[in-house]
Amino acid sequence: MKQLLWAERRKLRHSKIVWIAVFAVVMIAVIVFAEGQFVFKGSRYIDGAGWFMTAAQSLATFFVLPAVIALLGSYMICREEQEDTLKSLRLVPVDEAKLTVVKMIVAMVFSILIYLLLFVITFAVEAIMHFGTLSIQTVWGFLFTYFINGIGVFLAISPIVALVARIKKGYWLALVFTEIYSFAGLFASMSETLKTVYPITAVFQLSGYYEATIGNKAASLVILIVCMVLAVLILNGLSRKNKKSIY
Amino acid sequence: MCSYVIETKRLTKKYGEQTAVNAVNIHVEKGRIYGLLGRNGAGKTTIMKMILGLTPVTSGEIDVFGQNIKGREKRVYPRIGAIIETPGFYPNLTGTENLEIFAKLRGTAAPNAVKNALDIVGLPYRDKKLFSKYSLGMKQRLGIANAILHDPELLILDEPTNGLDPIGIAEVRDFIKDLSTEHGKTILISSHILSEIALLADDIGIIDHGVLLEENSMETLKRKNSKYILLQVSDIPKTSLVLERQFGVTDYSVQDDHSLRIYNTSLDMAAVNKALVVQDVAVISSQLCNDTLEDYFKKITGGEGIA
Repeated sequence: MKQLLWAERRKLRHSKIVWIAVFAVVMIAVIVFAEGQFVFKGSRYIDGAGWFMTAAQSLATFFVLPAVIALLGSYMICREEQEDTLKSLRLVPVDEAKLTVVKMIVAMVFSILIYLLLFVITFAVEAIMHFGTLSIQTVWGFLFTYFINGIGVFLAISPIVALVARIKKGYWLALVFTEIYSFAGLFASMSETLKTVYPITAVFQLSGYYEATIGNKAASLVILIVCMVLAVLILNGLSRKNKKSIY
Repeated sequence: MCSYVIETKRLTKKYGEQTAVNAVNIHVEKGRIYGLLGRNGAGKTTIMKMILGLTPVTSGEIDVFGQNIKGREKRVYPRIGAIIETPGFYPNLTGTENLEIFAKLRGTAAPNAVKNALDIVGLPYRDKKLFSKYSLGMKQRLGIANAILHDPELLILDEPTNGLDPIGIAEVRDFIKDLSTEHGKTILISSHILSEIALLADDIGIIDHGVLLEENSMETLKRKNSKYILLQVSDIPKTSLVLERQFGVTDYSVQDDHSLRIYNTSLDMAAVNKALVVQDVAVISSQLCNDTLEDYFKKITGGEGIA
């Protein structure tokens, strides 16, 4: 397992998708910063301490990061077949079920790191602009929210990653499906009930981005666990399908 | 004791109604190079995939190192190095990075394994060129490097010189030969190029339309197809006696009840004919034959031959 994790990390070296994700995070920060220049009731949005770190989360989660994370996750799973490395791995031999689990773990870590990168950028800007007004408690609160967003978004999109790996029609499909899926979260956020049960907004319920009761948080957690179970079931089917194609 | 590293018994593969491989019996001896020769689509890759357990067998048996590979992959695969079809690697990584991944996954202990493998195939170590920028020849070399990375006892190489230039082909041929002669590796190699197999293999299997037409040592095949005198006579034992006692000929082979081949073509055939007639042996015909290996392959594959 340790070797597989090392190998998966190495396989991402010089990978364009990683740079696309980093670029996307920087662009989110730039766009939200530009948005913060708008004046409301005599002051710019960006002048409010914590506004930047708050606003970046919704733009990132409804429009950009889930699609980028899904793209990376499905790319990691599909690439072995598309790049014809699967037969070399089978001859090692590598346990394909373990390999898929490792790929999902790496995708989750990547999701967390991407959200933490966004946190670092937004925090750096906030620290420069509002150093005196930001409390340590606020910063820790945001750090926790971003961290949970990273895990939660991965869980929410994991069925799409698994599905795209299963249908084998190219990992770019994951980007398209997830973009629609995350964008729909914007509409789900308008209803209190949907906000709790729709996976993308459930992430915000759980992370504390939305104010939520313990009951709502628990329901959102269950939804995200269901997403993960669904992904496992789809990937399990994929693993069996691959084995059947060999023997 | 059986010294076959690979042995197949009536190995058959069917895709629906189509038979890709039909009751093939292959015997690869330890420390020898076995060349599987056949046209494209003859079934060579399918045989290799079945031997490696990469494709299911319809019927028949395969023994690798004296055991069925299925269910024993973890024990058997570390003893095998293979290239099947075009070698697949991660395009965003360099050759060294790709090999480091496979070395780590295999648990290759030797610290210089990657460097040594790259040196053998003539690829630079720690080069910055990504695999996606490699030429077909470089990809093929990297595939071979990956196959020998963990110092396996058995190499299964499916058309390893595909895409290589003539100098590259000669280099690869030399180190494959060296792996067998100097390091005692057993090698199963496939090709559709007769000259390549003829220069490399100790044993040869000729496959056509999924059927193994002939399996023999290269020495025997060459002998079968060099210059010789084909002598057709009424009595083979008497002829043998005459050849050995009166002419000191031992370099001949009996083909059937009435024909034999004499490989010493400088023999005075008039004197031989005379001696045979004296011994009451009827000489039906005597002719000088000069079959090449290619002629032979054409003959046994039904006339189309192999390039």
